[in-house]
Amino acid sequence: MSVFKDADEVYKYIGGAFATAVSDPKFIEATKGTGLVIRLIQTDPDCEMIIDWEGQKVLTGAAADGVPSSVQLRMSSDNSNKFWQGKLNFTLAMAQRKVKLDGKRSLALKLLPLTPGIFESYLATLKAEGREDLIVS
Amino acid sequence: MTLEHKRVLSDADFEPWFEKAQKLSQLFREIGMKYDVENTFAYPTIKPFKESKIGALGIPVEFGGPGGNILQISKVVSEMSRGDSAITLAYNMHFIMFGIAMANMSDEQNKYWGGRVCGGELIFGPFSEQRAGFSGLADTRAIPQPGGGWKLYGKKTWGTLSEAADIITSSATITDAEGNLPEAFEDRVSSEMMYIADWSVDEDGNGDGVRIEKSWNALGMHATGTHVIHFDGFFVPESGYICEARTGLFSSLEWASLMFASIYYGMSQRVLEESRAVLSKKTLGAVFGAVAASDVKVAGVGHIIDGVGDMACKVEQNRRILWQTCNDLIDGYEDEWPLELRVPYIGLAKTTVAANTTHMAQKAMSLVGGSAFRKGTIFERLYRDSCAAMYQPLNADQTYTYIGEYLLQPEELND
Repeated sequence: MSVFKDADEVYKYIGGAFATAVSDPKFIEATKGTGLVIRLIQTDPDCEMIIDWEGQKVLTGAAADGVPSSVQLRMSSDNSNKFWQGKLNFTLAMAQRKVKLDGKRSLALKLLPLTPGIFESYLATLKAEGREDLIVS
Repeated sequence: MTLEHKRVLSDADFEPWFEKAQKLSQLFREIGMKYDVENTFAYPTIKPFKESKIGALGIPVEFGGPGGNILQISKVVSEMSRGDSAITLAYNMHFIMFGIAMANMSDEQNKYWGGRVCGGELIFGPFSEQRAGFSGLADTRAIPQPGGGWKLYGKKTWGTLSEAADIITSSATITDAEGNLPEAFEDRVSSEMMYIADWSVDEDGNGDGVRIEKSWNALGMHATGTHVIHFDGFFVPESGYICEARTGLFSSLEWASLMFASIYYGMSQRVLEESRAVLSKKTLGAVFGAVAASDVKVAGVGHIIDGVGDMACKVEQNRRILWQTCNDLIDGYEDEWPLELRVPYIGLAKTTVAANTTHMAQKAMSLVGGSAFRKGTIFERLYRDSCAAMYQPLNADQTYTYIGEYLLQPEELND
């Protein structure tokens, strides 16, 4: 059973963290000119998001359908919860096929320096929403 | 940070660096056989190699180097290997580890350690351990110290260049204060660090918390002096932490695969050169066997002609796959590869060059004839040395496994 009740919870917390991040000046500066648009596909519960860094917007559910992306990340919602807290070893998860990353390597590499800031944003979102139960120790 | 592959050093500015490689190659050629027989590292090469500063070729301009790229480094390694592959394989360790370390170090670390390499210092990096070679997570333990940093305990089995190096980069697994390895597999992966530290041993191989066990004895590559390294309280300061080891290694494995490929490309050139030198002159006189004639020059015998032609084709194949793979990285063509196939696609260059070269070394033994089998000839030496190609990463089995797994994997994730 997933730690998330449904897709709406995923959009609220993970999507919410990204919505904060994409409008943060430090991320705007870091992603300027990169063309970085992430499609985040999760299972159990099934959900899909577009994180458009340069466009400073996050699209969820049906709004994300058919929107072009440059990097695609696929994982279960539980692993996504761990990953965006910095609690999932990405190299190992890739090797064990718990995470699937597609797209151009040069663009995917631009995501890496952003991750510590995204982890902070997600943890802050969970705390602000009183969802400490989702925080992985 | 990630060390980007790019073109900075012009062809004209690269020329003096290639000339240094040619001079070292000549020296290696002159003394290589002696150190193969003596089964030791070629000590007289240390001073000229360090004084040449050729080890700094790949240091980026912003860290004080000339900014040579992976293709230019490949060319100097191949040129030196053409002189003597075993001696060059030892120094190749420096180019591999400088590349992997620089690709993963912070700017501050790169400035400090890169500056030392610009001054002529050499890096070596023993990673493999007895249990599972390069693939095995480090059993070498890094025990946290009360004042910061770690003390290392364990053993690395392939310490190439340990007798000439000034800097070590390697892996160890960070333990708890009592020295216990993490129990959970994921924690163990995350706790395996890549580090960099000063390396200093006396002529007997003893240093502070470290010892070189001079035990090198193998079928080939005698002149590398590839020894076992024992860590018994070797100190690594906190500033020496580079990154999580597996992440670092996999993201920059081209520095291992393509540098090893460069060694065997140079070796294939030497096999062809030596074969031509013998086969263009060899005369059998009157023979009555598979060929029956009163005076046979082997250069006129069909299978010899074809054999030499086949060798020349393989040398050219080696050059193309190696240089093109370097260019794929420099020019960004790797973006067209599936991400999971980056490591094996880079590995393809090494496995192809290695397979061609071992085939050539064996073929040369056959074409030259029984004299090549005698101890001390260049051919039996190239044959022995070429056998090492099957062990260095990526080997053929690893390459095929990565690609096969990718092609056969189900759509569903493993959860």
